[in-house]
Amino acid sequence: MSISDDSGALDYEPARRQAGAEPIRLPPLRFTAAAIVTAAIAVSIYLVGRHGDPAPQLQLSLILGAAFGFVLQRARFCFFCIWKDWLDRRDPRGLLGILTALAVGLAGYTLIYGAWLPDPSGVRLPPTAHIGPVGLALLLAGLAFGAGMAISGSCISAHLYRLGEGSPTSPFALIGAGLGFILGFLSWNELYLLTISESPVLWLPRQLGYGGALLAGLVVLGAAAWWLLRAGRPSEQETANNAPADPVAAIFLRRWPAWLGGFFVGLIGVAAYLRLSPLGVTAELGSRSRQLATVLDWLPARLEGLDSFRGCATLIRDSLLTPNGLFIAGLVAASFAAALAAGEFRPRRPNGGHALRGLVGGALLGWGTVFGFGCTVGTLLSGISAGAVSGWVFALGLIVGTTVTLKLGRRLRLLD
Amino acid sequence: MSVLSLIRRGAAVLAASLALGSAALAQSGPLVSTEWLEKNLSDPKVRIVEVSVEPGIYERGHIPGAQNIAWHTDLVETVSRDIAGPEKFQALARRLGVDKDVTVVLYGDNNNWFAAWGAWVFDIYGLRDNVKLLDGGRKKWELEKRPVATNPVPAKASSFTVGEPNKALRARLTDVVATVEKTSDARILDIRSPDEFSGKIIAPAGFQELALRAGHIPGSVNVAWARAVNQADGTIKPVEELKKLYAEAGIDGSKPVITTCRIGERSSHTWFILSRVLGYQAANYDGSWTEYGNVVGLPINNPAGTVWGGK
Repeated sequence: MSISDDSGALDYEPARRQAGAEPIRLPPLRFTAAAIVTAAIAVSIYLVGRHGDPAPQLQLSLILGAAFGFVLQRARFCFFCIWKDWLDRRDPRGLLGILTALAVGLAGYTLIYGAWLPDPSGVRLPPTAHIGPVGLALLLAGLAFGAGMAISGSCISAHLYRLGEGSPTSPFALIGAGLGFILGFLSWNELYLLTISESPVLWLPRQLGYGGALLAGLVVLGAAAWWLLRAGRPSEQETANNAPADPVAAIFLRRWPAWLGGFFVGLIGVAAYLRLSPLGVTAELGSRSRQLATVLDWLPARLEGLDSFRGCATLIRDSLLTPNGLFIAGLVAASFAAALAAGEFRPRRPNGGHALRGLVGGALLGWGTVFGFGCTVGTLLSGISAGAVSGWVFALGLIVGTTVTLKLGRRLRLLD
Repeated sequence: MSVLSLIRRGAAVLAASLALGSAALAQSGPLVSTEWLEKNLSDPKVRIVEVSVEPGIYERGHIPGAQNIAWHTDLVETVSRDIAGPEKFQALARRLGVDKDVTVVLYGDNNNWFAAWGAWVFDIYGLRDNVKLLDGGRKKWELEKRPVATNPVPAKASSFTVGEPNKALRARLTDVVATVEKTSDARILDIRSPDEFSGKIIAPAGFQELALRAGHIPGSVNVAWARAVNQADGTIKPVEELKKLYAEAGIDGSKPVITTCRIGERSSHTWFILSRVLGYQAANYDGSWTEYGNVVGLPINNPAGTVWGGK
């Protein structure tokens, strides 16, 4: 039976019949709740477009945030869970998803760079791209962030989308991250003078040209993918997941394949860079923490050079609505709607363990974000896409920090 | 091709070139309107250049065909704290395809702050009457929903030769001190906010470049720069209103004026109005408060009474 009509387009009914699927029947309560949240997002998008200042930027931030939250939830794109899948089960699928996101990002950024800065060999860097200083502090940031992921169970972007799933740890992790930000600002001046002020800002296209940097990046990603496919074990779930599904179920109910999630994550990253600023999820959290600490008079009068670096800026903003704030709001709300529809919104009452792991892990995430100028999204994804060496170094610190903390924590029976 | 169609085509070309010529001529003043600019986007003798404060704003959408200047690297010497030297400026102008026979239209964000600063630097290097500001800048262009583009259009390089810098347009510390000591009859116009002028604050929140003292240069008068601008669309107010605004502060063009602010960039906006729109003799003091306010032993006025020192 063909599932295409005469023009070759997918014909929904035959596809559904072939999948042998029952017609989709969402429980009315779940469906209604998801529809209400979706409508609220739509109304917010409309209102921000009418009353925002500057309306286009704020509106697009909200839209891209919602798209990002939907994709993260549907693909369960959690950097730590993906790494744990590999460590524990040699399941390469999630990591292949991350590699996909990086490859799409790298290609997209290169395309944009060609128009914005045709010659990369001069003294300039492409505007606003997350290209940070490479040195000891960045490595420490990666290690701390990795440890924070292992302890709290997610990175910051995943805590945000898991907030929408009702995770009991995520609220504490985000509060902990706020505290970690403040600890980061408190230790900033020392580390800045010790190492960051002399760390070079390395941008690969300057040395290799756009073609060379793209090729080198894709070769590294391709080699990693090849190795993962060779060394990984096929998952038992894979065959079940490959069974044809009702198209609606495939989008809204079933977990997306990681590569598809990665593809969209990369694409949203490129869209955000083209129209707004590089993708990042910590600017709002960082600047609000800084605002709070400034009001409480906890911070030194000056944070040397902090605001002169690129990345998820923590500059204090006066306005109530900021692009990154709306991005985060859209992310959490869309993840909530997606989780409701898929039956993955399962709020649990947090216990002491959730709170402790959230706060401690979150603090490490926050501290790492200050010195990494971003997190898995702002530095790893947006940095590697941008051709920044800082993205790769942060990734390296992250892998080591997560693995060591997880193994040590399990040996001490503190982590599962 | 028939004789008639040849004549018709010839007439059309003639009419088009007349229209272009008259359009360019019609803009003999220092400002061009958004409407005029949109009509003349494809005129090869019009070169549009964006000078914005916010990085990345040009790349994400600019007036079609516009070139870009990054003010904090292209127009300054970053280490010696100076405007771009003659060679650097010449190279920039050539790269942008700017020359004396080209109508240069500068525009930018923040009501043309840095576009005006660009016009001041252009003027110092001999590009004056052919350099105009787009009245209203990015703000008005966007408000009127005019087209923007993201694709870069390479400019055909010019063979512009830089002249001797016109020192009359730039005030140095000695010129300012001379007015304080009353050996010069120039008037100082401080365009910072009233709170900066009175010494309540050293600088607006968030600015890194500061002076040790707060207050203003003795004898200077205060007209905040934004008062010359229609807040609704960023356009510069009509000439009569501007004359009245500055005359109320004692600036009427009868004496040379020195404009000043914190680092000399906002003040170039007022410099542009005084020098180019009103035709007053004006110089911009780019050392401004971060230079004057820091100099040991120079007198200041500080009505707010905030004196440098411990608690």
